Amino acid sequence: MIKRASAFLLLAAIAIAAMPSAALAAEDGELDAIHHSANAYYLDFTPIGKLQLPRIFVVQHEDGSYGLELFRSTAAAILEGGWVAEIDHDGEEHAEGEEGHAEDGAQEAHAGEGEAQETGKYAGITLAQLEGHLVPPGGGHVVLDMSISKHLVFAWLGMIVVAFIMVRMAGKYKRGVGRDTAPKGLFQNLFETLILFIRDDVARPNLGAKTEKYLPYLLTVFFFILTCNLLGLVPFGATATSNLMVTTVLASFTFLLTQFGGTKDYWMHILWPPGIPAFVKPILMPVELLGIFTKPIALAIRLFANLTAGHLIILSLIGLIFSFANMFGPTVGYAVAPVSIAFALFIYCLELLVSFIQAYVFTMLSALFIGMAVVEHHHDHDEAHGEHHAEPTASVA
Amino acid sequence: MTLFAASLLAPDLGLIVWIGLTFLILLVLLRKFAWGPITSALSEREDKIRESMEQAEKALAEAKQLQADNDKARREAEAQAQSILREAREEAERMRGEEVNKTRDQIQHLQEAAQTEIEREKQSALDSLRQEVADLAVSAAEKILRENLDADRQKKIVKDFLSDLPKN
Repeated sequence: MIKRASAFLLLAAIAIAAMPSAALAAEDGELDAIHHSANAYYLDFTPIGKLQLPRIFVVQHEDGSYGLELFRSTAAAILEGGWVAEIDHDGEEHAEGEEGHAEDGAQEAHAGEGEAQETGKYAGITLAQLEGHLVPPGGGHVVLDMSISKHLVFAWLGMIVVAFIMVRMAGKYKRGVGRDTAPKGLFQNLFETLILFIRDDVARPNLGAKTEKYLPYLLTVFFFILTCNLLGLVPFGATATSNLMVTTVLASFTFLLTQFGGTKDYWMHILWPPGIPAFVKPILMPVELLGIFTKPIALAIRLFANLTAGHLIILSLIGLIFSFANMFGPTVGYAVAPVSIAFALFIYCLELLVSFIQAYVFTMLSALFIGMAVVEHHHDHDEAHGEHHAEPTASVA
Repeated sequence: MTLFAASLLAPDLGLIVWIGLTFLILLVLLRKFAWGPITSALSEREDKIRESMEQAEKALAEAKQLQADNDKARREAEAQAQSILREAREEAERMRGEEVNKTRDQIQHLQEAAQTEIEREKQSALDSLRQEVADLAVSAAEKILRENLDADRQKKIVKDFLSDLPKN
């Protein structure tokens, strides 16, 4: 009981610790939730400072030759490399105009940028420059921006955490703990439970005899997503899985595994669906073809939207404090703070839940899609088909 | 706001390449160094548990069978012992009866023999007594004849003779 209470207190402490960094990041007295959950080329350790990340560009010069350009940071690219940051002022003003205080908002924004100059390692570039679109000097253009971004760093962090935990786990099993005896310790028990859950309740029911082949992918994707989700709830953390590019890549893996593992039966179902009148078949074929792509796209958007939404709500709730303070004065802001924080704490707990649920849902649906394609169906096309097919589609919805 | 929302959805090919690479490395790494050993250990353990449970069940069945066999054997042995005991008792009874009969017969036989002997001995004693008395009478008569003088003398002779006779 005491343990449980202390665990909750710890969680609350982390949640509250995670908030001020966002709160203090309200540069212009207004907190832009979307800005904070979008990708960036620096790690935000406000109030300590911002750690700029290396920029890597594949550039096509004006004469048509290709080149690879590396900079330690955005500031280095601008100050030493002579790159130009294109700042979209219209966009910023337009964005703040919608919130109803275009004029002073913009001015305060510049003041905020001034602070960034003081705290940044490379004085002389502004926050707007840091976030601007970089253009190489001398009329060339960027072919591929391979810069290390915030979400990439946290994806790497997630990778390291997962690899570290799992390789250590494997070492334990190799030594015989868990192989010849019962699993020992909190970590092994916890992760074994999750691994067995994925194997027995996610992979086996969908993949049957092919479980062994796809289990490594499902386990990797589950633990990677889960870790990335949870890293977003750590103070100064960012959620790699709240980036559409990241979730797209993950969904692409499921897509590729589905298509490459697809049996003849699977392709037959798409290209010439059995069990229906012949004249319906040409109508159904494009629908089925489209279905190949909608499934992984839904997979990518679901994960991205769920993880982004939670963060947006938390940041918006915190942002309310500043909005109220701006509109009615600091006293009202202080009065609103406890309410906002209480709600944000609630959403934070919800996020914790969502982290697990979305990792599970992604893995579950991946297993389902792959299973539908790779598992041999033994059924009579004319009779049992409708019944057989209805089940997986129902659970997808 | 629209533009900022777009920043969440902006395509970023570089990130796609990086994440694809990252995930691929993680997948290969974990597949080789983590999932292989872990899942093999888990299934090995499960097999072992299943096997030992099956073995335990088999052993239990065997033990039950063994106990049943033992019970049966014990019951049989008991029954056998009982019958042996009964037979022995009957045999003893029978033998005792025979012995008693035999002894009784023997005793009867001996008794009869003794009786006959006694009868015979008695007869022989009477015969010898008769002989003796006859002899005595003859010798007495002889003496009387030899001393046939007077009556006194005869009387004296008989008296002497009688006193000469052994007392028994």
